[in-house]
Amino acid sequence: MIQMEKNIVSFSNNTVTKDLPVQINAEDVNIYYGDNHAVKHVNLPIHEKSITALIGPSGCGKSTFIRTINRMNDLIPAARCEGTISYKDVNILNPKVDVVQLRKEIGMVFQQPNPFPKSISENIQLPLRFAGVRNKKTLKEVTEDCLQQVGLWDEVKDRLDRSATSLSGGQQQRLCIARALALKPDVILLDEPTSALDPVSSAKIEELLLQLKNDYTIVIVTHNMQQAARIADYTAFFYQGELIEFGKTRTLFTNPEKKSTSDYISGRFG
Amino acid sequence: MNSKVTNRIALSLIILCAAVMAGILATLLGYILVKGVSSISWHFLTTSSSPFLAGGGIKDQLWNSFYVLIITMLLTVPIGVSGGIYLAEYAKPGRLTSFIRTCVEVLASLPSIVVGMFGMLVFVNYFGFKFSVFSGALALTVFNLPVIVRVTEDGFNSLSRHQKEGGLALGLTHWHTIKTILLPAAFPSILTGIILSAGRVFGESAALLFTAGLSTPDLDFGNWNPAAPNSPLNLFRSAETLSVHIWAVNTGGIMPDVQTIANGSAAVLVICVLLFNLFARALGKVINQKLSGR
Repeated sequence: MIQMEKNIVSFSNNTVTKDLPVQINAEDVNIYYGDNHAVKHVNLPIHEKSITALIGPSGCGKSTFIRTINRMNDLIPAARCEGTISYKDVNILNPKVDVVQLRKEIGMVFQQPNPFPKSISENIQLPLRFAGVRNKKTLKEVTEDCLQQVGLWDEVKDRLDRSATSLSGGQQQRLCIARALALKPDVILLDEPTSALDPVSSAKIEELLLQLKNDYTIVIVTHNMQQAARIADYTAFFYQGELIEFGKTRTLFTNPEKKSTSDYISGRFG
Repeated sequence: MNSKVTNRIALSLIILCAAVMAGILATLLGYILVKGVSSISWHFLTTSSSPFLAGGGIKDQLWNSFYVLIITMLLTVPIGVSGGIYLAEYAKPGRLTSFIRTCVEVLASLPSIVVGMFGMLVFVNYFGFKFSVFSGALALTVFNLPVIVRVTEDGFNSLSRHQKEGGLALGLTHWHTIKTILLPAAFPSILTGIILSAGRVFGESAALLFTAGLSTPDLDFGNWNPAAPNSPLNLFRSAETLSVHIWAVNTGGIMPDVQTIANGSAAVLVICVLLFNLFARALGKVINQKLSGR
């Protein structure tokens, strides 16, 4: 509990004061892997230009849920979804949705930094070119702009043609974020983006996310409760496939309604 | 017996096995090269073979071997790589897929003499391609295709799924992800596999006996018109390759220097296959270094 008290001190001090409009709204979402009911009846609003953190012990369905928001679960043949996730008046879960377009608007960054084994600039320009940007000057400008946004420009501007795999883990992850930004998405989903990184790189990413939320809606899955407390405006606690509690981060951490929430955040399990 | 002793015995056994393998290879190579290298000369490599007289070379056979190899690769690589991509990326797990995979495996383990007989019945007789470069290349395609499919599928499967997710999450289509991200990343291992299989194709004889034939027309290396009957590029002329030549000379050669020709040809063949292997390794290393960053 002493540990807990210390955590509370470090809440983000630029949390939203009043609720911004809901950009993505999940209603009664159920996700199955074969017979395994992985996510159960989840209702969750995601507010625009804020950070929403999904926390909970391993296997609680938080990653499954975030991967459904841009339909990455389509890759898993046995996965099946029910319910509604509305975004721009469309149900994302509708099989007719153009997932390619959807993923341009809702980008994703993964736990393991996954730059393509190509040059740094090519990592950013490849998706741009596929999206139809051909003008060399524009490509260059966007590359610089995105690298600036993630604070990587000064570190790599002299070696843009070097392989992205030569960067450090933290730099690679920032490059992956820059790459997602290049497509000007509305929403960025991050699935445990710092769990493979050292503390210094993690801190840089957290700082970056706090900056990015002024322009983007951010949803982050994290194992690290302190991280949620530090950066998230809203936090959702998942346990055994259910959304146990959702609310403003400070409220959820200092005054949780449910007993299992307070047990989890005080480190009794998980 | 305690675990330390067991450990030592296991280690010794493994080293022994490795040594036996290396020993066999070294003996074979040494024997072939020592006996053969002395008969290799510029004259030997650039003179046509002679049916009765001494002093014949292997110019045509050497050319035929490379030509058949190139045609085989032109046929197998596009089909094999596409098949491998299909199996690795598109095929949904199920009966049809496992049936296809079984077919590929069976095809890969067919004895090459059987492939040769099949080639004679189908390509040479039924389709009427005669004993020709083309028939030979088709037979070798049957023999090589499963290898390329396998190499490609393995190359794709060895990539981490993070690469694929990364591409798809950036709004690329599945095909574009394959084309621009996965295929380039799998390229080094596919290329290495292709070159190694080229070594196998280059040395193949049984599949070619009944398809490419045991003779070569008097090739005119000044005539590059593929339609001319004595052009080196003609696809529909018979073409005895180097390894078939070794077999033919050894079983029925009546020239006085049979032994020298057989030894020299064997040495050339082994050197070529060795070069393929070394080249594959070096190339794989260079590309890997390039990809993983300086």
